[in-house]
Amino acid sequence: MNKLLLAALVTGALAQPVFAQDYTIMAPAAPGGGWDQTARTIQQVLQDEGIAGNVQVTNVPGAGGTIGLAQFVNQAQGNPSQLIVGGYVMVGAILTNQSPVTLDNVTPIARLTGESVAVVVPANSPIQTIDDLTAALKENPGAVSWAGGSAGGADHILAGLYAQAVGVDPTQINYIAFSGGGEALAAILGGQVTVGVSGYGEFASQVEAGELRLLAISGQNRLEGVDAPTLSEAGVDVVLENWRMVAAAPGITPEQEAEINADIAAMVESDGWQTALADRGWVDTYLAGDEFKAQLAEDIAATDGILRQIGLVQ
Amino acid sequence: MTDRANVTRRPDGAALVIAAVLAVIAAVIFWQTAQMRVVAVYARVGPTTFPYIVATGLAVLSVLTALSALRGSFPAREKDNHGPMFWIVGGLLAQMFLMFPLGFSVATGILFAMTAAGFGQRRFWFSLPVGIVFAFFIWLVFARGLQLSLPSGPLEAAAMSLFSSMSGGA
Amino acid sequence: MGTFDLLLQGLMAALEPMMLVYALIGVTLGTAVGVLPGIGPALTVALLLPVTYRLDPAGSLIMFAGIYYGGMYGGSTTSILLNTPGESASIVTALEGNKMARKGRGGPALATAAIGSFIAGLIATLLLAFIAPWVVRFALSFGPADYFALMVLAFITVSAAFGDSALRGITALFIGLGLGLIGIDLQTGQTRLAFGIPDLLDGIEVTTLAVALFAIGETLKVACSPTHLKEEVEAIKGSVWMTIEDWKRSWASWLRGTFIGFPIGAMPAGGADVASFLSYSAERNFSKHPEEFGEGAIEGVAGPEAANNASAAGTLVPLLTLGLPTTATAAIMLAGFQQFGLQPGPLLFANNATLVWALIASLLVANLMLLVLNLPLIGLWVRLLTIPKPWLYAGILSFATLGTIGANAAVMRIWGVSFSFELLLLLAFGILGYLLRRFGYPIAPVVVGLILGPMAEQQLRRALAISQGDPAVLFASPVAIVLYVVAALALLLPVFLRLRGRGQLLGQLATDED
Repeated sequence: MNKLLLAALVTGALAQPVFAQDYTIMAPAAPGGGWDQTARTIQQVLQDEGIAGNVQVTNVPGAGGTIGLAQFVNQAQGNPSQLIVGGYVMVGAILTNQSPVTLDNVTPIARLTGESVAVVVPANSPIQTIDDLTAALKENPGAVSWAGGSAGGADHILAGLYAQAVGVDPTQINYIAFSGGGEALAAILGGQVTVGVSGYGEFASQVEAGELRLLAISGQNRLEGVDAPTLSEAGVDVVLENWRMVAAAPGITPEQEAEINADIAAMVESDGWQTALADRGWVDTYLAGDEFKAQLAEDIAATDGILRQIGLVQ
Repeated sequence: MTDRANVTRRPDGAALVIAAVLAVIAAVIFWQTAQMRVVAVYARVGPTTFPYIVATGLAVLSVLTALSALRGSFPAREKDNHGPMFWIVGGLLAQMFLMFPLGFSVATGILFAMTAAGFGQRRFWFSLPVGIVFAFFIWLVFARGLQLSLPSGPLEAAAMSLFSSMSGGA
Repeated sequence: MGTFDLLLQGLMAALEPMMLVYALIGVTLGTAVGVLPGIGPALTVALLLPVTYRLDPAGSLIMFAGIYYGGMYGGSTTSILLNTPGESASIVTALEGNKMARKGRGGPALATAAIGSFIAGLIATLLLAFIAPWVVRFALSFGPADYFALMVLAFITVSAAFGDSALRGITALFIGLGLGLIGIDLQTGQTRLAFGIPDLLDGIEVTTLAVALFAIGETLKVACSPTHLKEEVEAIKGSVWMTIEDWKRSWASWLRGTFIGFPIGAMPAGGADVASFLSYSAERNFSKHPEEFGEGAIEGVAGPEAANNASAAGTLVPLLTLGLPTTATAAIMLAGFQQFGLQPGPLLFANNATLVWALIASLLVANLMLLVLNLPLIGLWVRLLTIPKPWLYAGILSFATLGTIGANAAVMRIWGVSFSFELLLLLAFGILGYLLRRFGYPIAPVVVGLILGPMAEQQLRRALAISQGDPAVLFASPVAIVLYVVAALALLLPVFLRLRGRGQLLGQLATDED
């Protein structure tokens, strides 16, 4: 039985087309994580839709993606078959870890998906609206505990931007960092903290079930089918989206860049990609070329500003 | 396990070295932690508290280890051979440095043969090819079959192009 | 009894012949990959998950359940036979299990692990099916202060794995705590003890440390020590099966392990490793043969293995009812569930009733299949020990490095030379593992320190941050107080037992300290 299966695996391995590799995608995260899933979804769709013959994924986890990024920049220089997946978290991590390699060292191709960060409170919290939260924060910033992901990540940045926007000193926020995997969600549901900030996807089912009250979301626009204002609508002038992107190697020619752009565009339009997004609950925020580069520069500047304010970057 | 009657009651040099190493680790933690910039946090227990606790603990343990060493109360040790150590550590180092230029199969094949040598099996003309074939088989199952990212080198590339020309040409 | 009907319906579907074949394939694949030294269940599931995508939802669910259980059981097999745990939860299994295997009792050790896992899996899956909503409410009531109390309890129980000297045990623990400090501090984002090496920013990977200390350290020790090298391990001495005595000593341990493992697994910050530590210490305290602990006590395999499996089912409680993945394996499973169209969360049981019950039924069937497949194979597994040492250990090192480099393909370049930093760590810790063995230091507390140290620190600091620095919060909840009382008992019970003259080993521990 064992040998049979092994034989099947091996023949399966050999049966794959083994021409020149069309793309190697680096996921700067461990197998199973968000960026890894993005990379593997791209791999699957590119292959299934016949856009690329053979796509490989490599995992280089660590330090918010900066380890993978540094390796990518070193190794992929001028190689049009190398891609890297990344996201907003990387922007913050590059700043806080003082990474010698930044996103300026790669060729950004396109933003693929984006997730609003949601601000929630437990259902039995006295805080009903964003105004209540702002009032509580102004009264005693220390008494409002914010639960979210690791210090310096998107959730922490949002809490800082929020405080700044309502005129509270961002260094005074009482931010409690939880390691990933929804530990923060447990603390919010258990009423251990005042308010929670995390990607909307992590809270969605709890919000639908009425266990959590969604005060606002951080994106540009409201989410379809979700009854909550954006932070800007609620009077807090903050927009933040936790996006994921794909980038190419540094030093490739404009023609090569255009070719990759065309492949990614074809992928995004394919049914396979759209089905995969729907299956995983990812929101399509495709933005390519110069528009994406401009958006990226803006995000980096804003993030740098707030991280300095909070004191995470000198 | 230890027969306590056999314990030699004289200072144990190696154990004193252990005590010294613990003291050095404690000192490094103290020194590195003292360099950290302390930010005021609501918890009052900041990022430097635990390092100081651990460093203090290690310093105390270092003293106790030294005392125990002077009393010779460490368990008796047999005399270990060092030859196998060099083979196996050498094999791991060889694999580490050859992994990227030569690929997983060759590097791991060398580790395989050198580990076997550490255990007294020195017929390299046999163990090296066996190791490389074994590692290539693992590479095939894991890297090709299960999409685990393992470094590939000239051997893997040559084998794959051979396979593809065989299946493509037929 | 709507729940019961739904479960029956799920079971009927899962018992179709084709489904049984899928379950068998899943269990076989999971065991085959999981049994490789240095490859733990998380990596096994991540690697094999795509294999299930090609089937229909019901088929892929059941194959997935098989892979999950197979991967976990496969890990215990190498822990017991070769002293090479692939993940933190099987470390305790290696403690007693490998001692048993060395004495030719590998068969009974594997059998008690398999049957214990089956019983724990069965009970825990049924608990999952019927009382998940209540368990999850209890688990959510745990705040950071309560978790800190749980960590204190876990720290005290580590002393059970200290071996014959408290000084060396505590030193090993502190080495682990020191390693746990390395990396970015979660609460403030500051870097500690990384010495400017970017690869250290995320801290030391528990798997790397465990594989290095056990697999590599053990290999070096066996190769270098003249007595170890000559030692002929007899694969089977006496019966390959459990004797009546073994059954008598195992059944209560299985049950205790189950009831320790399930609730701890269900806690968002619990985990199978903590459950297995607590179970080991409980077995040591309850055993009628405490003197056998450290020399191959069957309870020390039966309890932790049951706890490990029950905790894995417990992990499904927050995963299914809250969508909370609390372990690396669970995070990968969540991705898998989404592939099947399952959206974990409070509405899951209402919205996806058929699929959930199909999953639960699949777990039950896969669990049974594991037993059916592996009990007859025990005789074969044990023969792993008869492979000549040069080839056996050459193979172990090949797989240990495969698991490490496969999970982390980062390349470091210094002076134009490329190498894997993770493999360098593996080598360094491997040598540490050899030295610890050579000088009579226990290994398990190092890994325990690395796991528990950062957890305890983070929970304490969270609790104090929420209370704005008021330490009274640590003793404010009844749960925390109960845990401190249990911790005090765990500390005092051995003293009490010693006063009654029951544990010669414990007595020896005391004289060692004079």
